[in-house]
Amino acid sequence: MTADTAPVIGRVVATEQLPAGPHQFHFWTATHTSIGIGAIVRVDAPDGRVVYAVVIDGRAYSDLVSPLHDVLAAEGDPAVTAPPTRRTEIRLWTGAVLRQIPEEPLQPVPLAEVREATAADVEIALRMDAYVRATPSTAIPVGMYTAAGMRAPIYLDADFLLGPESAHLNINGVSGLATKTSAVTFLLQSVFAHFPASKGRIAAVCFNVKGPDLAFLDQPADLDDDDRAMYAALRVPAEPFGRLRYFAPLKADGVNLNTLRSHEDLAASVEPLIWGLREVLDYSEVLLNRDDIDAKADAFLDFLADRVVGKRFDDDWGGRHLVESFTALERLFRAIFDGLETTGGRDMWRTHHIATIRKVRNRLLNISTRCKGLVTDDEGAHDLPFGAFEDRSVYVVDVAGVDPLGQDLVFTRVVSKLREHLERGDLGVEHVIVFVDELNKYAPGDGPDTYVRRMLLDISERGRYLGLVLFGAQQFRSQVHRRVVGNASTTVYGRMDMDELAMPGYAVLSPATKIKLATLPKGELMVRHPHFTQPIFLKFPRPASLAGRQGIEQFPPVADVPFDDAIARQLSAMDRRIVRARVVDLIAGRREDEVRAALLATRRAKPSDPLAYFRARLGAVIATTRGDAPDGDGLRSLKPVEDPYAP
Amino acid sequence: MAALPVGDAHPAPDGSGFVDGIQRLVVDGHYGLVPVIRGHVAAAVLERVDGVLSAVATEFEEFLVVPVRRLSAPQHTALEQVGLAVYDSDPGARPHPIVDRYAALQVIERRRERAELAAAGAFLRARPGGWLFRDGSIGGLAALPGGDRVVGLVKSHETQFLDGEDLVVALTLPEGCRSGVFERIEEGRRPMLTWYLRLWPWSELDLLHGLMRVERCPGDHVIAEAGDVSRWLLAERTPISAPDARWDRLIYPIHEVEMYLRARVGGWG
Repeated sequence: MTADTAPVIGRVVATEQLPAGPHQFHFWTATHTSIGIGAIVRVDAPDGRVVYAVVIDGRAYSDLVSPLHDVLAAEGDPAVTAPPTRRTEIRLWTGAVLRQIPEEPLQPVPLAEVREATAADVEIALRMDAYVRATPSTAIPVGMYTAAGMRAPIYLDADFLLGPESAHLNINGVSGLATKTSAVTFLLQSVFAHFPASKGRIAAVCFNVKGPDLAFLDQPADLDDDDRAMYAALRVPAEPFGRLRYFAPLKADGVNLNTLRSHEDLAASVEPLIWGLREVLDYSEVLLNRDDIDAKADAFLDFLADRVVGKRFDDDWGGRHLVESFTALERLFRAIFDGLETTGGRDMWRTHHIATIRKVRNRLLNISTRCKGLVTDDEGAHDLPFGAFEDRSVYVVDVAGVDPLGQDLVFTRVVSKLREHLERGDLGVEHVIVFVDELNKYAPGDGPDTYVRRMLLDISERGRYLGLVLFGAQQFRSQVHRRVVGNASTTVYGRMDMDELAMPGYAVLSPATKIKLATLPKGELMVRHPHFTQPIFLKFPRPASLAGRQGIEQFPPVADVPFDDAIARQLSAMDRRIVRARVVDLIAGRREDEVRAALLATRRAKPSDPLAYFRARLGAVIATTRGDAPDGDGLRSLKPVEDPYAP
Repeated sequence: MAALPVGDAHPAPDGSGFVDGIQRLVVDGHYGLVPVIRGHVAAAVLERVDGVLSAVATEFEEFLVVPVRRLSAPQHTALEQVGLAVYDSDPGARPHPIVDRYAALQVIERRRERAELAAAGAFLRARPGGWLFRDGSIGGLAALPGGDRVVGLVKSHETQFLDGEDLVVALTLPEGCRSGVFERIEEGRRPMLTWYLRLWPWSELDLLHGLMRVERCPGDHVIAEAGDVSRWLLAERTPISAPDARWDRLIYPIHEVEMYLRARVGGWG
């Protein structure tokens, strides 16, 4: 034994029934041994050949030929006194070859001594030496190999995790035990810490699809010494994400944020995700089914998008429209219907039949109703900072409280915008990781061919060329579209369900590996990566960010508040000096949509004096002199035109 | 003589040893009609501590056996240059392949006996209080220092030492019973104290099923210890040494010594 090799723990054996091959072999160890399923070993042949392998199966048996002999010996009584001699027992292990040096000629594993792998051996066995020691290193720590009482960092290759060679990561396992979200959170921290700057800037967009999973990524978690030791060994800062922006749609009331991150201490850091007609129209296909979008309707939608929305448009009856909101669109539709009616009941307008126009109107205007809170009838939107994404930043989009249709819209639009900007090279970063949980819901293996599924397929197949990388998670990999999971170069498995492991997709795993997967403790994973010829088990530290459940306990969400209070609270979050009474006085008697618009404008502008800006956006209140005021209350607000700070 | 129940089984003291030997031979060639036979003998003592057997004394020897007196001087010199010890066997009256082989076997058996003696002697010296169980008659082990701690376990019953009613009692012992201790006297052999012990019920089928004869060197303490030794042996019924055909009389540790030696010798020959 030399200084850099471990002691001999076993010997390779081969029989006619159990021969040693170039890919698999068997070896025995003492009954008491430190190795187990998942341990990495090395075999040193006398001729200098070295074989690295991972233990994938183990058996123990004695010289007892038939169980009946044991029954006979005990005279049928299992409680009989223990035998004076323990039968000779063997521990026979099966090793799956990870690497042979030299690689050629590829030969059966020699019948030689077996040793535990050292940290240096692990690096070579998993072919990590090629990228850990490269300049610049593309190694991304994913966890620690901890078998056989030894710890060694395991690295993924950024070129194969984030492109361009291959890309995408898929993680699966049962809910609550597989620690999927924790694993992705840690991996994002690791990517941000180790992704080489020479490869460009990188950011992550995480969709929070259930509960508070990703709601507290900027809050520190309690870590124990073991976790901190792992962070240190992996050279990843044990800190929550420093640069994080949090987006959530509003609730149907238009003022309360639809998120569990509503605690007073955190609510100010949540930005509303509000889209108007402009943002939604290009993605109406997501919200409308095939029955809605026939060729005629599609043509009319194109007409609206090309000729009407965002442009000054003259109808055929002297009206001029600037359609930038659903409200304005409705006015246009009303003008068309009125115009057709007053001109003799014509049923065609600009080559579009009135029935088609009515159908499209109903479907489009219904969007703002179905996605109320996310889609506004009014002008003005608040969106992710496309074009100004920052390096090593996380953008969390909380759609947990949004109905499935709205979630589909959010996924589709955000990812499509990311792709557009990456194609143009003006996103602000060169690489974006998109994390989507519950992938079996959004890209199912069966069911209808939805827009969202097509989009996820597109990312998984072409995203790596753009720098758009999908980190997907789900309970059951077998239920996700095979092209989506198949294109993920790196696959991570947490605790798995036995029924899932019985699916054909897991046939390559040994029974022992499946059992280990089915009983995997929290914080342990099995990883497949292009450089690893066999799956590898590893541990990772708990995320340095607060987990959802603990976050909810530490920052309990607050109940929805009345309109006045919500406005006051949101303004107060921008400037602590703003008191509720002043805000309530200011908005008294105002229409809610005007107040919402003013609040949104204030948020977007981020002025030094939010209350003044808000007041300016609301405009002055003047007494109505006409008796036909639309709301009959004698009051009407004026919108500011030039100076937003005008009194 | 009466059948004596030995009582509940009780394991032998921790640190007991079990000794056995094996032998192999192969005809390597001939000088004319003179066979050159290569022999291999091995012996080992496995010591049992906390139920686990491990080898504490081993002896291995590989050698040639030829009727040296039928070799020419150059032939003898050539054999000695092989590098193995050359032992002489009985040349017989004339060459005869079967008789020559039998004569070589006699030599090999003596070498095996010597190997067992060496291994047993090493154990008895190293473990002054340790009991040693031998497969078969005590034989030459009786002369070793500590020979009074050797227990011979005889499985074959080719020679009967009792007559009349005593023989009936011995051969029809119920399970868990032993005979009284008696002296075995055989011409040309050292006298021994011995008794029969039934490990497994014979079930009216085979009188010898589960019947073992236990040997001890003569001594005043032997009769007093016969009960304890019998209880120790009764405890050795489990684990059984099946599928060995002699499992009813071959105790598992001795079976393990044989397995150990076969594994060590491997594919010799």
